[in-house]
Order: sequence, then structure tokens, then C-alpha cells
Amino acid sequence: MHLVVCAKQIPDPETPPAAFRIDSAKNEVIPAQGIAPVLSPYDAQAAEAALRIKEQSGDGKVTVISLGKESAQAAIKQVLAMGADEGVLLSADEFQGGDSYTTAHALAAAVKKLGDVDAVFCGRQAADWDMGQVGVGIAEELGWPSAIIAKDVKADGGSFVVQRVLADGFETVKMAGPAVITVSNELGDPRYPKLQQIMQAARKTVTTWTPGDLGLQPGEIGAAGARLKLEKLFQPPAGGDVQIMEGDTPADQAKALARALRDAKII
Amino acid sequence: MVGGWWSPAVGLSGIGLVAALEVERTDAGREIFFNVQQPWAVYVFMATLVGLLVYGFGRHAGLWLLGKPTPGLRLHPRHRVRNAMRLGLGQEKLRRDPYAGVMHWCIFSSIVVLTFVTAQVALDADLSIHFLQGNYYLFFSFYGDLFGVIGLIGVGMALNRRYFDSYRRLRWDERLEDHLVLWGLALILLSGFAVEALRIGATELAEHESWARWSFASYGIAKLVEVFEFRDGQLLGAHTWAWWTHVVIAFGWLGLVVFTKLDHLFFAPANAYLLRTDAPGRLTTIENIEEREIFGVGQVQDFTWKQLFELDACVRCGRCTSVCPANLAGQPLSPMHLIQDLKAHLANVGPELQRVGHAGGDQRAVATVAMVGEVIKDETLWACRTCGACVQECPVMIEHVPTIVDMRRYLVMDEARVPATAQAALENMEVRGHPWRGTALTRDSWMEGLEDVPMFDGSQEYLYWVGCSGALVERNLPITRSVFKLLREAGASFGVLGQEETCNGDPARRLGNEYLYQILAQQLVETFKAKNVQRVITNCPHCFNTFKNEYPQFDGRFEVFHHTEFLARALGEGRLRPQHRVDSSVTYHDSCYLGRLNDVYDAPRQILEFLPGAAVQEMARSRSRGLCCGAGGGNMWQEEVGERRVNHVRAEEAVGTGAESVVSNCPFCIQMFEDGIPAIQPEEEGRMRAFDIAELLDQAVFGRNGSGAGGGESVR
Ligand code: SF4
Ligand code: SF4
Repeated sequence: MHLVVCAKQIPDPETPPAAFRIDSAKNEVIPAQGIAPVLSPYDAQAAEAALRIKEQSGDGKVTVISLGKESAQAAIKQVLAMGADEGVLLSADEFQGGDSYTTAHALAAAVKKLGDVDAVFCGRQAADWDMGQVGVGIAEELGWPSAIIAKDVKADGGSFVVQRVLADGFETVKMAGPAVITVSNELGDPRYPKLQQIMQAARKTVTTWTPGDLGLQPGEIGAAGARLKLEKLFQPPAGGDVQIMEGDTPADQAKALARALRDAKII
Repeated sequence: MVGGWWSPAVGLSGIGLVAALEVERTDAGREIFFNVQQPWAVYVFMATLVGLLVYGFGRHAGLWLLGKPTPGLRLHPRHRVRNAMRLGLGQEKLRRDPYAGVMHWCIFSSIVVLTFVTAQVALDADLSIHFLQGNYYLFFSFYGDLFGVIGLIGVGMALNRRYFDSYRRLRWDERLEDHLVLWGLALILLSGFAVEALRIGATELAEHESWARWSFASYGIAKLVEVFEFRDGQLLGAHTWAWWTHVVIAFGWLGLVVFTKLDHLFFAPANAYLLRTDAPGRLTTIENIEEREIFGVGQVQDFTWKQLFELDACVRCGRCTSVCPANLAGQPLSPMHLIQDLKAHLANVGPELQRVGHAGGDQRAVATVAMVGEVIKDETLWACRTCGACVQECPVMIEHVPTIVDMRRYLVMDEARVPATAQAALENMEVRGHPWRGTALTRDSWMEGLEDVPMFDGSQEYLYWVGCSGALVERNLPITRSVFKLLREAGASFGVLGQEETCNGDPARRLGNEYLYQILAQQLVETFKAKNVQRVITNCPHCFNTFKNEYPQFDGRFEVFHHTEFLARALGEGRLRPQHRVDSSVTYHDSCYLGRLNDVYDAPRQILEFLPGAAVQEMARSRSRGLCCGAGGGNMWQEEVGERRVNHVRAEEAVGTGAESVVSNCPFCIQMFEDGIPAIQPEEEGRMRAFDIAELLDQAVFGRNGSGAGGGESVR
């Protein structure tokens, strides 16, 4: 069984607020100094789901694909250390500046190139933009069924049994492979790699594919192919306006509050 | 020292010697195998015993040799000999429990001296150099009896403790052999007196009563026996019986040395010789970690032979467990049982491992129970605080901490079985260079409101190392600021690294991820060297221990001070002048990594003495007996399993002093107290407060509102 994990490297979501800066002129996040980018946490969970199935089936193979800059090698190595077998990096200037659509398009092309894939695992969303589009986008491109926001995935012959998290409960679906599954944090903590695996991962070479390798035209990918335009990126000014409700008793204060809220047309 | 122990014995013997020389030259003496037929049987016993010892120790040695070579044993031979004398023969650690100290000294010295007495008898008989004559014979009779009595006193104390005292630790793992050994010893001594008394009754009493008096105890018994007016024949018959009983029991007892805890007779001094000679707070480095296949200790043969050897030295006294913070809190760790379980496991799987080893087979494939996971449970290994209390107390110098950490290394690096919260801390160190997952602070946050914080550029004398906890945990920022202000006030030439600080790796090493530790440590050593750091002042005893004791392993040699050391000196030299009263009763908590593991007990107490109006109230467990706050050994980042939490136990002790505040020197201790005290004192009114000693000194120097010369932020 051949499983693919899509992994994205993102700015550290735990960057302290004081260190998070935006260049509003360029509509870009300024990389925080001394804070290295990380593997999106949901993608680590996607890797965990794939690895559990690999272990369950006994003879699976897991390939991790990332679209990003050269630095995304680190994200790939991390999944390799967890137990993935091979890594592919989609990296070229033409890929830069894309949106969910172009990313899904490029990743789907990579899955097609791999050929014999039984399932693609993505995080439910990347923890930077939180769009949650790429997984379903890949399914659309490939014409495969998809199940999103999974908390448990099992392989059953050629099918996958997926437990999904809904707003008010869980749902179990079974779908025939090949399929796309996006994984949520309810799946549980991703494994801690053994040192032996970390060292093996460090020695593995990651294959790099360019648009040419995937047969993609420059207009289909990156900024050129993007259908989403970022209008404005800004940090809401921090701070607040505090008004203390006067009153001798809590009841008086409550009345004053109610009046103030009505004046402000909130109630 | 050894002398301290021996002085009473030497003194008493000396008096005897002088007295013996004072009497006229005499022809006193006796026939050795008096009244005993077939004395050759003794030599058969002797040969059997020697055979047994050789066989028994040979078997032990075979098991030890399953272990790996022990690095560093050739270093510091003089230090090692001194340890063997002080800690082995001198039994320094035993005295930490005074009752046991006296008891053990009585038994030990009696066995040594009486063995010497017996050896002289044998020499006199066999080599036909008859030196047991004249004045020396009288003296010999005297000290033989003296140490017999001393031995009986010791045995009496031991019997009392084993059977009548409410003393618990001896019963945590009591076995048949414990009773055998004790009663055997009692019988040897009593039968010894019987032999001597009967001999005296049958011979000397009638002929040379003045000689007999030298054997004062036996003489007394003989006089008692005399009352019954036995015939000589009866006395002689009884003597023969008593003699053989004595001999048989004595040899039997010596035979027990091979099979029981009595082997500590040899193993304890040997283990004192093998004891590490470097800092107790240092963990071993895994050399060439990249080239190894197994990183920690997962099976017995992964231990060093010294680690296997010391398992055999354990006497199940329970001292280690009785001081273990995890055990006190009802958590699943007892260092004594850990050592005993490993010992039993070694005996269990050792022979098969030896066989496979000799046959050149694969020892790892020998199917046995998993040592790490089954024999020693994961939660047992995680509960250890690496506080060193067990090592400190162990009378036979067993080092539990390296053994526990070696197995943790296996859990983390080989098996990747890590509690989730500890895993988060490790991953955070790897990814973000600090263990504080989710902190909203940056390494500059503490500088807000302080003017002109100097960056270290190599021109200053000291690097002030703030550390991850000092910079990234809200509660600790005031401590960091206080230290900063005090350093400045004291006129120190120093700078900080700010954003360039990264974790020095200590939590990773304690949690068992030696690989991550080495990466972080090597990086930081490089940074320090590049910046020309020579002297470091740290906020945190863990950073202190790491820089001071562990970085030399990576060729990083710096002069390292904990802030309490620096501040105590500045106070002593008058460079800091506490003028404001802090009126408060305080109790002082020794952090393990500053106190027990680095021997800094006095500097913080000196600072307290300088605080106007502060009354210090010590806790019952303090200084080298201080109890861990619960955070050590990476437990800051773990969920505790067990009846209680260690910080609740310690907070209770602190609250029990009645002091208004508990003062420490470590950001982790402060956090543990802040967290533990409310559990003991749910009412906010009058609740004990926890401070770093620098915060109090800050109040004393600058006043409560920080109005002194240093200015800046007020202390909360
Ligand atoms: S180091 Fe401390 S916590 Fe660990 S076993 Fe020893 S006494 Fe217990
Ligand atoms: S390890 Fe040491 S302190 Fe603990 S029971 Fe054994 S001999 Fe006693």
C-alpha cells in the first residue's frame, strides 16, 4: 500500500505576539528573527494517521511531499524521522506566490507522477492561513473521493474507514480507495521519533521536482495561476477602551451597564 | 574520618596495653588447641570456606563482566583510595543515622578485631611462633573480650531495631537472611564467651586467677559458673561442645558472606573505591553518539560492569527510599526496590547471557522479559527527580541516578516512549530552543522598563545568563530583574545575551535525550567561545550545574557562579548595602542542584543574614538532607502519577515552619511552591509566599518600591 502525506512548513504558530510582524506594504509576514519555521501540526497528525495504517498493513510505503522553499526539507525530514520512507520536495521559483488552488493542482500532479498511490493524507488545514482547501482540492483534481477532519482512519481491504469529527458528534464513513483524507488533532499526538530513525532520516536524500518534472505549465501554478488575490494584510491594533460602571450596589452597576449597552445599540 | 571511628576502640585498647605492660613480666600463656581433639577439622572448614568464597565471588564476577567497560576508573587513584578509607572503612555515610552508625561500628569493629584475634591464635598454633605469651597474652585476652562485648552491644542494638523499634525501612524488603545473619552473629559471640569462660573455669581460675582477670567478661562468667561447682570433667566436656559449636557457627556464618547481603563486607569498600570522583551533578556523556546502535541501557549487558557490581553491594537498608521525594509522595519509585529488582533480573538472565556470549551468539536476541518496561516500569523511571538524595544516603555508595538516567535514555532515544508533556518539552527545545511550550514571552520581555541593559560583547567580566525559565516564565521575570538590578548596583561588569540565548540542554539530558542535549550544548559552547565568555553568573541552579560540571565534557571551561554566590560575596565586600527592613520570617529551601549536587549551602544563608529584620526558620529537612521541590529531572514537564504531588509534600513542610515566606534560589522551586502552597493553604489570607532570595535582597537594598539607586521596576 502506497500512502502519501502532504506536509507544509509554516511560520511557527507559537511565535510570541511581540515577535510577530507584518509588512503591510508587501502584504507579507516578516519572518520572526530567530524563530524557525515548523511543520504544520495537523500535517504531523496526517503523517501519524498514514504511519498507523502502514504499520497495520505490514507492508506499506509512505511518501511525504511538500511544496515550499528549500527550507521545507526540514519538514520532510521530520516526517521521514517519524517513519516515512521517501520524501519529495516541489520547489522552484514558479511555485511561489500561489494559493490553495495552485497548491492542490501541483500536489495532485505529483501524486499522479508517483502513480500507484492508494491514499493521500493532509492536515485538516495548515496552521498559518487555516484555509482547509488543499486536501479537497487534490481530491477534486484527481477525481477521488475524500473525507475531511478525520479522527481515526483504518484500511479495510481496498477501502478506508474514516471516523469524522462533526460539529455535534462523530460520523463513520467507508470509501473505496484511492482517496484523500484530511486529519484533525483529535487523532492524537504524533509519535516521537526514535533516534535511530532521526539519523536514518538525516542520511536520506529528498527528491526535488520542478514544474517541468510534473509537466506543469508556468501559467498553472504559483502567482501566475492563483485565483485568490490578497487585498490587505494587517495586524489589528492591540488595546481596548475600558469604561468602569459606577454604582453603589452591584444592582446599580448592572443597570448602568444595561443602559450603556442599549445606548451603544448592542442590546 | 576513619580516625573518628576508631578512636574509642584504639583508646580502650591502649589502656589495656599500658596496663598489661605495667604488670611484671609474666610467663602467662596457654595451649592453643587446649582440650580439643581433631583440630584439623578446622582446616577442612577453612578450605571449604575458601572454596566457597572463590566459587561464589567467581559467579558474581562472571555476571559483572557481562557489563561494558567502565570509563574513568583509572583516574584519580588517590582520591579513590581516600574514598575507600573514609566511606568504606570509615563508614562515613552510616553516621547520617547516628543509631545505625554506632550499631554498625560496634559490629564491624568487633568482627574485624575478633577475626584478628582468631588469626593470631591460628598463627600461634600453626607456625609455632608462640607469641601469645607474657604481657602480650594478657593484653590479647583483654581486647579479645573487650571487642566481644562491643560486638554484643552492637548486636543488641540491631536486634532492638529489627524487632522492637517502630523503624520501618528495614521491613520494606525483609528476608530470612536478615534474621539468620543477626542471630548467627549473636550466637558466635555468645558461644565465644562460653568457650573462653569454660576454659578459664577449667584451668586458669584455679591456677592463675590474676591472668584470668584480663579476660574480664569471660572471667565474670567463669566466676558465675564456679558457683555451681561442676567437676572438671564436666567443664571440659562442655568446653569441647561450646568450642565446636562456636567454630561451626562461625564458619557457617562466614559462608553466608557469599549468599547474603553480608557480601557488603567486601563490596562496600570496593564500591567506595569505584565511586565516581567527579561532580555528582554530572551525567556521563555518550561518546560518538552518531555511530551507536543502542543509545541507552535497555538490557543488563548495556550497563557498565561497575553499575552491575554495585547492585550486589546493596544491603536493603532502605535509606535511599526513605529520603526519595517520589517515594515520600507515594509515587511509583523506590530506589531500593529498583536496585533489588535489577539485581534479581541480573541473576535471572545473567547465566543465559553468559552462555550465549561465550558461544559468540547475539546477546540481544536472548529472549527475556524486557528490563525496561517490565522489570523496571516506565513510570518508575519517569518519577525520578535526579535529586541525588538516594545517592547521598546510600551507605554502600550506590549511584542510582546514572543508572536511572541510562534507562531513560533507552526509553527516549531507542524506544521513543515518552510521556506526552515531556515530549512536548523535548520537541519544543528541538524546534524553538527552549522547553516552555506556548510561552507568550520573548527573551527580551524581562528587560521592559529597565534602562540600558548591556549586551555581552566580550569586553565585560561576566556574562549574566538569564536562562529559559528566567526569561520565558511570567513568574520568574521579577527574579531576573532583581538579579540584574543587584548586579548593576554591586558594580559588576557584565552583559546579557538576550535573543541569542538558547537552551543549554539540561532538561533534554535529564529527560534522557542525550542526542538533543549534545547538539544544544555544543552549539552553546561554540557561542560562548566565539563571544569570549570567561565567567558566567546564572539565575538557575540547573544552568549553573550544566555550565560548571557538564560543559567541560564538551571542552567548554568557564568559571561559573550562581547568583547567590556572587551576591553573598558582594554583600561581604560591602558592595551591596541592604538598608530597608524586610521584616519577615522566612524558611530557606535548598534546591538540589545548588545544594546537594554542588555543595552550595552557605552562600544563600549568608545573604539571609544580611537582610535586616528577616528571621530564618530552618525546615527539618535542610542542607544535604533537603527535599526536592518535585521539579527536578524534567518533572517540571510531566504529569505526576501517584498519591500526592511532591511539591505538596514540600510545601507542607515549608508551611509547617510557620514562616511567612519560603525562599529559594531556583526558578523551578519557586514555581513548584507557588503551585503547591495554595493546595496546603487554601485560604488566601495569610498564605505563605515564595520568593527567590534575590527578590528579598532587592527589597532590602532598594526598598519595596525599588526606589534605591538601581531604580527600574518595582518588586511585586
Ligand atoms: S534521585 Fe531523588 S527522586 Fe531519584 S531515586 Fe534518588 S531520591 Fe528518588
Ligand atoms: S541502594 Fe543503598 S541506601 Fe538503598 S537500600 Fe541499597 S544499600 Fe541501602
